[in-house]
Amino acid sequence: MFSDELKAFRRLGFRHVLLQVLNFASVIASGLMLWKGMSLVTNSESPIVVVLSGSMEPAFYRGDLLFLTNPVSELYKTGDITVYKIPGADIPIVHRVLETRNFPIKDWDPSTSSSPHPVEQKMLTKGDNNHVDDLALYEGLDWLERKHIVGKVRGFMPYIGYHLTILLQNDFPQLKYALLGGLALLALLQRE
Amino acid sequence: MHSIFSRLNNGSSLLSSCLMGLLLAVTLSTFVFTAEPQGNLTIGSIRVLEGRNPRRYNQKQEVGVVRFNVTADLTPLFHWNTKQIFLYLQAEYNTTEGVQNDVVIWDRIVRRKEDASINVVAKDKYHLRDVSRTFRGVPHAQYALKYNIMPYVGVLTYGEVARTSEAVVFPKLGEL
Repeated sequence: MFSDELKAFRRLGFRHVLLQVLNFASVIASGLMLWKGMSLVTNSESPIVVVLSGSMEPAFYRGDLLFLTNPVSELYKTGDITVYKIPGADIPIVHRVLETRNFPIKDWDPSTSSSPHPVEQKMLTKGDNNHVDDLALYEGLDWLERKHIVGKVRGFMPYIGYHLTILLQNDFPQLKYALLGGLALLALLQRE
Repeated sequence: MHSIFSRLNNGSSLLSSCLMGLLLAVTLSTFVFTAEPQGNLTIGSIRVLEGRNPRRYNQKQEVGVVRFNVTADLTPLFHWNTKQIFLYLQAEYNTTEGVQNDVVIWDRIVRRKEDASINVVAKDKYHLRDVSRTFRGVPHAQYALKYNIMPYVGVLTYGEVARTSEAVVFPKLGEL
């Protein structure tokens, strides 16, 4: 079945294989650069996320794409939709801020502090589609703090990430492995 | 060179770039709509009762129960890229210790233009609580009705519909 492919592979020679590898590496590297560059601009470790749960329905469904920023100069406000990751929890959560409590920092010095605001924020969040707030999701923490937050949702694009939810979650395991296997085969056998 | 695969590839890439262009145009078009919704907000009564601290269940904590009256017309906010509006009422207060608090006490998701004329006389959905577990350090609070427009595609926008004209005084425990 693959004998033709193998023959073609031999005919093209070693230099061609090297070139292919180089191309592949440059694609990966530019993707990574773009991602890290966006991270720098938005000050968020993950500036684009895919919604993985239904707790913000009917606004965000699984597979929707969210664009985040996390500007140092801005405090979080009620009504902001945040993506946060509690240490110990495996997936980041997309929920809306319900309460903000800004505690003044004593002896705040703008030259040494990492934050331009003399306050420390404690927050409580809730999913629009949930009946109760997120206290139970905080893994024993009393409040959500700035350090847990990946970013604030600024932009929205529906459906685009749906194929990613198939790959990341195990709803359709056969489809998942068929997709992964197919992609791997294509990448191996493609000649251009 | 003109295999079915390359044709498919070219066709789908053209289609997806057209789709992206269209989505970008829709996103940009939303910036044209700058409606200012009108509304009114009055606080009927505030009661401070004794409740439990949801973080330490054996601890007592004062709970503020707010009755309010909201009228608002959100119809101008519905345009072709409005998926839904998240309307929320929040209390804003500073304690004598200098802690600034914003606390949402009521919210509603408005999904259709037909439901966008809001007239609500109600009690809060989420009771007021303070971190110090008492409202003795809270002289008064402002209340504001705010909204968040969530689009079909594009940028989330925020705004304010109404605000109490004067700060509302907090009663003592058990008093009205």
